[in-house]
Amino acid sequence: MLNKFQKIYTMSMRRGGGGGGNGGGGGSTTPPAGGRTFSYQAAPTSVGVSMMGNLTMADGASLRTWYFGSGFNGDRALAGPVFEANEGSNVQITLSSMMPHSIHFHGLDVDQANDGVPSTSGYVGRSMGGGGFGRVGNATSLGNSYTYTFTAPHAGTYMYHCHVDTSLHFEMGMYGTVIIRPANGDSNVAWAGGPAFDKEYIWQMGAFDSSWHGSRVSGAQTARYRPDYFMINGSDGANASNDSTVAISAGAGQKVLIRVNGTSYMPGIVRLGGLQFEVIASDGRPLAVPYVTTEQLCCAGERYDLLVTMPSSGQYTASIEYRDIRNGKALGTVTTTLTVV
Amino acid sequence: MQRREFLKSSLAGSAAFALSGLTVLNSKRAHAATSNIELSAEGTYKTMVDGTSVYVWQFNDANGSGPGALTSGIVVNEGDVVNVTVTNNLDRAINFVIPGVMANTPSVSPGSSQTYSFTAPAAGSYFYTDGVNGEIGKAMGLSGPLVVMPADGSDRLYTGGPAFNRQYTLVLNELDDRLNAAVAAGGTYNMDDYEPNYYFANGLSYPDTAGDGDTLVSMNVGENVAIRFINTGCITYPQHFHGYHVNVISRNRVLETRVIEKDTTQVERDMCTDVILPVAQAGAYPLHTHYVPGVTANGVYVYPYGGALIVMVAA
Ligand SMILES: [Cu+2]
Ligand SMILES: [Cu+2]
Repeated sequence: MLNKFQKIYTMSMRRGGGGGGNGGGGGSTTPPAGGRTFSYQAAPTSVGVSMMGNLTMADGASLRTWYFGSGFNGDRALAGPVFEANEGSNVQITLSSMMPHSIHFHGLDVDQANDGVPSTSGYVGRSMGGGGFGRVGNATSLGNSYTYTFTAPHAGTYMYHCHVDTSLHFEMGMYGTVIIRPANGDSNVAWAGGPAFDKEYIWQMGAFDSSWHGSRVSGAQTARYRPDYFMINGSDGANASNDSTVAISAGAGQKVLIRVNGTSYMPGIVRLGGLQFEVIASDGRPLAVPYVTTEQLCCAGERYDLLVTMPSSGQYTASIEYRDIRNGKALGTVTTTLTVV
Repeated sequence: MQRREFLKSSLAGSAAFALSGLTVLNSKRAHAATSNIELSAEGTYKTMVDGTSVYVWQFNDANGSGPGALTSGIVVNEGDVVNVTVTNNLDRAINFVIPGVMANTPSVSPGSSQTYSFTAPAAGSYFYTDGVNGEIGKAMGLSGPLVVMPADGSDRLYTGGPAFNRQYTLVLNELDDRLNAAVAAGGTYNMDDYEPNYYFANGLSYPDTAGDGDTLVSMNVGENVAIRFINTGCITYPQHFHGYHVNVISRNRVLETRVIEKDTTQVERDMCTDVILPVAQAGAYPLHTHYVPGVTANGVYVYPYGGALIVMVAA
C-alpha cells in the first residue's frame, strides 16, 4: 500500500522532472521516506559523467571511479542514480559528456538507435582517436549530449551502463539501476497484479580489480581481471553495514523487496543469514514459477528480485559471496546486516 | 550428416536467405541413418584477432567443418548410428567423450586411430571433447559441437518441443595463451593459473564473428530463432542479448521451468543452453558475455568490441 506521504513525494519528483530537483540519496544523506531506500530520478531527466570519483574503501584505500551523476547531493562515487519510470511511459534520459561515453539500457530492449553501442548506436563526446581514450574508433559521435528515448518495458529491475570501452568503463563504476514501476506508478507492488512490498532495497553487485583503476583505456594491463574489493552499492567491508542503502532494516512481518543487480563481472551468491526468501522475478520479468530458497546466484548482467518477510525479531548477517567465473571458488564476501526494528 | 546446416535449418523460401546468401536446408528423413565421421586431432598455430599466433589443438574434419572457424562439428538425427574415427596427431594420448552420452572411452595414442560408436541420443545440444588430459584438452581447443535433431528431422529443439524458423549453434570457448605456450613446449599447465585472454564464438573473435555466416545471427522480425550456446571452455558465459528477451528452453537437455524469460542467460562450464529468441524488433544488436573482459582481445577492447562478441541482425 502506498501511504499518503509517498504519493506526494512521487508526484513532486515527477514535477521536478528535468534532472535538477532530486535531493537525498544513498550514502551519508538521509534516505527518502516510504518504501524507497535510494533517491530516484524520474524521467525525463539528465545525467553527466564524472571521471574524478574517489571511493574510500573499508581498508582506507582511495580508488578512482568513473560514474554517472547529476552533480547534486545524492551522487555516489559508484553506482549512478537510480532511474525510475512507469511501464508504458515514454522515457527520456539525456546524457551529456565531453569525453566518449554512452548509456546502454540493459534489458530494456530499446531500439538500435537508443542502444548505446558505439558504431551501431553512437556515443557521446569526442573520440581521442588512434586507439586512445574511449576506443570508439570510427564510430559516430552523437555530439556532446544525446537524449535516449524509449518506452518503459514490463515493470521490474533493469541495468544501465556505459558501452564505450566497456571492459574498463563498466569496471570503473559506470553503471546503475533502472526501476520500472507498474503503469499506475504504484511503488509498493513489483508489477501490476504482482507481489506487494513495504520497502525495497537495490543491491548493485560490484568487485574492483584495484590494479585497473589507474587506467584510461583498456589494454594489456586489463587483460586479466583479479578482483580484490567486493562490494554492494560501492560499499565494502564494514562500510556495507553502515550504508543505509545496503543494510536492511524493517519491522517484524514487513515485506522487503531486494532488487539484486548483477553489475559485477564475477557471479555472486546472495544469502540473507539463512532466512528464506522468495525469488519472484528476474531480468524484468516475473518468474514462470516463483520459488523459495535461502541463496540465489546472480551472474553478470542478470537481475533477481527477492522478496523476504522480516522475522519477528533479531539481526541477521546478509551477504554476497563472489565466485570465480573460472572454477567457482569463493573470491571474497561482502556482508551487511538485516535488522528487525 | 549435414554440416553447413549448423547455420540454420529453416523454412524453405525464407527471405532471410537473401541476407546471408546461404541456402542450406535441413534434410528431412524418416529413418535413422548411419554417419561415419573421420576426425583428426591436430596441433596448429592460430592467428588471434590482434595478430598474435597461438598454438592450439583442434579436431579437424577433412570432409567438412563445424560452424564458423571450428574445424569440426556433428549434426545428426536422434537414433542415427554415429561412428567417429579419431586419428591422433598430437604428442600425447587423447580420447573422445561426449558429456552426458559417452565417458571413459578407450584412449588413442599418438599416431594411432580409434573408432568411437554411439547411437545419437535424445534431440538436443551436446559437445565432444577429450577426456584424458583433464581440462587441458578443452583449454587447448579440443572440442566440437554435437547437435541432435529430432528423429523426424523437424525444426524443433526436441521431439514435440518448440518449433523454430532457423537455428544457430554458438560454441563458446577461450584460451590463456600462457597455457598454450607451455603445451607447445611439450609441457602442461596448472589449471589453477588459468586466466584466459582470448575469447571465441565458433572459434572466431569479433569482427570475424560478424563476417561468418554461421555466427552472424541473421533473422527476420516475427520469427522464432533457436540459439544453442555450447560452452566448451573453462569459464562461465553469462550471455546477454541486446534488444531482446529470450525464452530459455533447456539447460543440458533439462527443461527450464522456472526462470524462462531472460535477457542474460548463464552458460556454465560444460553447459549447453538452448533458447528461443522471438524476434520482436528490427535492428543490429550485440550478443555477448557480460563478463566483459570476454569481449576483449588480450585486454584490448578492439574497435568496437573484440573478443567473443556476436552480432544479431534482424530485418
Ligand atoms: Cu564510459
Ligand atoms: Cu549490459
